[in-house]
Amino acid sequence: MRNRTNVFTNLDWVTILTYLVLVIIGWLSIYAAVYNEEHSKIFDLSQRYGNQLLWIGLSLLLALIILMIEGSFFTSFAYPIYGLIILMLIGVLLFGAEIKGAKSWFRIGSFAIQPAEFGKFATALALAKFLSVLGINMKDLKTKVTAIAIVILPIILILLQNDTGSMLVYFSFVLVLYREGLSGNVLLAGIYTAFLFITSLLMRIHTFTFFDKEIGGELLLILILLVISTVIMYFTKKMKKLWILIIAVLICSIGVVFSVDYVFNNVLEPHQSKRINVMLGVESDPQGAGYNVNQSLIAIGSGGFSGKGFLNGTQTKFNFVPEQSTDFIFCTIGEEWGFLGAFVLVSLYLFLFLRLIFLAERQRSTFSRIYGYCVASILFFHFLVNIGMTIGLAPVIGIPLPFISYGGSSLWAFTILLFIFIRLDAERIYVLR
Amino acid sequence: MNTDRKAILSRVYIVYFFVCLFALVIVGQTVNIQVVEGAHWKEKAENLTIEYNNIEAVRGNIYAADGSLLATSVPKYEVRFDANTPSITDDFFYQNVDSLAIELSNLFPERSKKQYVAELIAARKKGARYHLIRRNVKFTELKQMEEFPIFRKGKYKGGFIYTQQNKRVKPFNILAARTIGYDREGIQPVGIEGAYSKELRGINGKRLEQKIAGGVWMPISDENEIEPVDGSDVYSTIDVNIQDVAENALMKQLKLHHAGYGCVAVMEVATGEIKAIANLQRTKDSTYYESYNFVVGAATEPGSTFKLASLMAAFEDGFLELDDMVDTENGTTKFYDAVMRDSHKGGYGKISIKESFIKSSNVAISKEINRVYAKDPQKFIDRLNKMYVNKKLGIEISGEGTPYIKNTSDKSWSGITLPWMSIGYEVELTPLNILTFYNAVANNGKMVKPKFVKEIRHRGKLVRKIETEVLNPSICSEKTIKMVKEMLEGVVQEGTATNLKNDVYKIAGKTGTAQIANKKLGYKYKKDIKVSHQASFVGYFPADNPKYTCIVVVNAPSKGVYYGNLVAGPIFKEVADKVYATSIGIHKEIHKKENQAKSRIPYAKDGYYPDLKKVYEEFGLKTNQGNEVTEWAKVNTDVAAAHITARKVSPIYVADVTGMSIKDALYILENQGLSVFFKGKGVVKKQSIAPGEKLVKGNRIFLELE
Repeated sequence: MRNRTNVFTNLDWVTILTYLVLVIIGWLSIYAAVYNEEHSKIFDLSQRYGNQLLWIGLSLLLALIILMIEGSFFTSFAYPIYGLIILMLIGVLLFGAEIKGAKSWFRIGSFAIQPAEFGKFATALALAKFLSVLGINMKDLKTKVTAIAIVILPIILILLQNDTGSMLVYFSFVLVLYREGLSGNVLLAGIYTAFLFITSLLMRIHTFTFFDKEIGGELLLILILLVISTVIMYFTKKMKKLWILIIAVLICSIGVVFSVDYVFNNVLEPHQSKRINVMLGVESDPQGAGYNVNQSLIAIGSGGFSGKGFLNGTQTKFNFVPEQSTDFIFCTIGEEWGFLGAFVLVSLYLFLFLRLIFLAERQRSTFSRIYGYCVASILFFHFLVNIGMTIGLAPVIGIPLPFISYGGSSLWAFTILLFIFIRLDAERIYVLR
Repeated sequence: MNTDRKAILSRVYIVYFFVCLFALVIVGQTVNIQVVEGAHWKEKAENLTIEYNNIEAVRGNIYAADGSLLATSVPKYEVRFDANTPSITDDFFYQNVDSLAIELSNLFPERSKKQYVAELIAARKKGARYHLIRRNVKFTELKQMEEFPIFRKGKYKGGFIYTQQNKRVKPFNILAARTIGYDREGIQPVGIEGAYSKELRGINGKRLEQKIAGGVWMPISDENEIEPVDGSDVYSTIDVNIQDVAENALMKQLKLHHAGYGCVAVMEVATGEIKAIANLQRTKDSTYYESYNFVVGAATEPGSTFKLASLMAAFEDGFLELDDMVDTENGTTKFYDAVMRDSHKGGYGKISIKESFIKSSNVAISKEINRVYAKDPQKFIDRLNKMYVNKKLGIEISGEGTPYIKNTSDKSWSGITLPWMSIGYEVELTPLNILTFYNAVANNGKMVKPKFVKEIRHRGKLVRKIETEVLNPSICSEKTIKMVKEMLEGVVQEGTATNLKNDVYKIAGKTGTAQIANKKLGYKYKKDIKVSHQASFVGYFPADNPKYTCIVVVNAPSKGVYYGNLVAGPIFKEVADKVYATSIGIHKEIHKKENQAKSRIPYAKDGYYPDLKKVYEEFGLKTNQGNEVTEWAKVNTDVAAAHITARKVSPIYVADVTGMSIKDALYILENQGLSVFFKGKGVVKKQSIAPGEKLVKGNRIFLELE
């Protein structure tokens, strides 16, 4: 019989260990990224690594506190916590301070707190609470709408703060909904739309000549879509019901293609469209929008197989890469530890995600399972987009690399997010469905 | 239910799959960047138009003990001229070359206007693009040059090119030049500059710079740089005043005797601090220049000054006492077939050991040392080594000569080695070795290492204090020290260096007059062969409570006088006098009050009353004034106080200005409406219109000053 009162015996130490390793890697990387000889002491509080150490300490304290709170607290208070965070998100719009163009910070003295970071775990709690209600069915329209509303509400508020990066993270909840029964078609539709969007972006800058006639890239794309639809319809002429779907998809597709221009020029901010163009290689602007990525690639690329060694990275040391201790921290690792370092880091993350999904799947409580998925999805999205952008696979979206990037708010938010799940997992055997 | 479960499971697998897939994509891209495209990115990293360039750190200064600057860095410019820049047309060049030459010749008069014109035209014709105008241009001169015709058009249109270099400057020129030394690229660094190169140099900074049009590098931002850390300052032990006296005294004596070279070093007894170190060598044109650090580097046979060590060894081993008697025969004695002579013809007869030292008898000392150690010469060598005579001192500045004390196992050891060694031949020591040894005697047996640097400071903040290093806490017994001190004092009181004796303070020391070995002939006396000498004196003062040790070595005096007391002695005396006069610590405490009471209160010129009163009060001197207070006053001083008496200036009578300075006199008389003429300097002695005569405005008055 396991000891019921002592939660620490049931903790998943594997996950905690992975967490600690990542945090330490992060701290060393920040030290390397902002290293200068004048402040070479690693405990210098005037420097970023000094601050980070302080925040790591506080995070560990926070983790300890969370581990001592009964899991039932989170199930019962999921909605109030969510409500509180939503209030903070509204509050920040009214009283917040603006940093780097986003009005998403509460400033208390010299410290700044970003509610959007904490919105992630609150939304995860609320979503888990809602979807764990007995007898709920994902196929009901009302369920779908409510679930989506829970996610959309913070999205809108964060969008109003002009913090697109943090907002995008909330789309990772789709993965959770999919696991809980949302039709795969939704995912497919999403992927298809994105694909179409990118293709038309790439094609619209070219003109093609057929039989001495010039055709714009967008028109050609529509022509291709028409041809494909016709071919499919020809092969499915016995299943007329499908035709309606095909035609609907075609019309929507054409709509998407034509709206690209509008979305690109009117919905997205100029710097955002520029970043996307740079990522796609449509535009080259190594001194402007492409500067970060270009420098980041130079830093990682010059690291080679085994890297230049700790504190020897010239590109990062001399601040060639902007934001290298926050969003572009992966460069420092890539440059100083090379491919080996990058591989180890990616493997660690992969291990963490798979471990989290495994833990989620072994939960008896639906609440815990859904929350686990939320944790995995959010971390995964951050990981994917952050590293993707440093190596030129994703547009530059300013979101931190979990546990590694410099910053108190994000480290605390990720710690809370993760440790609530670890606490829930530790109680799994005593919890009824 | 089963299908449901399957559906969910498949979804889980899809999630797993995607997570793994994306991770793989990321790893793939990393491989792509780092391995496949690695070379490309590496090249890009190197070829950035943005570079981090060095910012040279400012080299630290070297200071004397009192804070005077001994070495510092100043910016100097090298100015060149691009005589063929496309912007300078023939017309423009030939129109302006004359005026440019005039300006250049005005600023640097070593060359005439004509020479400059010829030079500039030649450069133009040759198409020289980097013609040297001048090196070592000062900043102020550079600023002037920037305004010259042609040059004022700038780098591209006027071909005016200059580069900045930091030049090391010694404000006192040759003063201790060799000891201050230098540290230049490609040359073996010497002196303090070399020894403390690391501290002085600082750490170069790095600045991120971008190449912009015209090949100019421009800093990108203020933040992106690693600040250079300026070098620390080195505070040497050198006392500029003592150094100055030492150098001048040495120079005078060397010139007088037309000597080959000479050196002086002064060391503080307790701390080993080198207060002065001068080395002068005759150059081809018979001037003297500091070009080699003889004190530190030149290991030569010391001659008689070594007798101290020999006798100390014998005292330590208990073989001899001060009043043991020894027969100097007729001033010569033979060891095998080698003849040992005293400089005093006919010898000294029977004398004590103390006398033999005081009179520097070669015969007596070599005989006695040979007598007591002949059976076991190694014992003598071991004793010398025990007293650290053979030890290299390990000082911080480079180029230290190696002392050589012959060992019985050496091939060149012969039957006559021991007697000759006892009087300072067949051994080699640097002046610094001898100085350190004598200093240890002065310091009651405690041998300290000579040091040249006291502390290192960075922007005035103490970084490192260089402590005095004790080489040997006690080189011999107290009894021996007492004995040798008595002998050393005897040398000056009644021996070979009585010319150094004075009433004020006692000097103790030893003269040395060594023959310099001729490589072909050895030490054998031969007629018609001129023997070269090395005169030296080493000693300490005040003998009762030694504060400073000093050595003087003069090599190859060529005017016939070569005795240590006559050649080296005067230099020692001059240095010692100066040090004694300026070091308050050495004197007995002067009874201040007693002396003050005897002296008069300083005298002041008559003049403006408030000023006089203020000055006297400022110095805390007693003043005594009458009841009447006026603007102008007369001063009389005696032992007790300054008596300030009123001096009335009336509007109708000519004022009395005698005893006043011309400034006050002019003021008063011209205010009275007189026109004043004067001659001489000092205070007014006579005035042509007597005081008290009726004033007539516009009259002339003549003053005589004295």
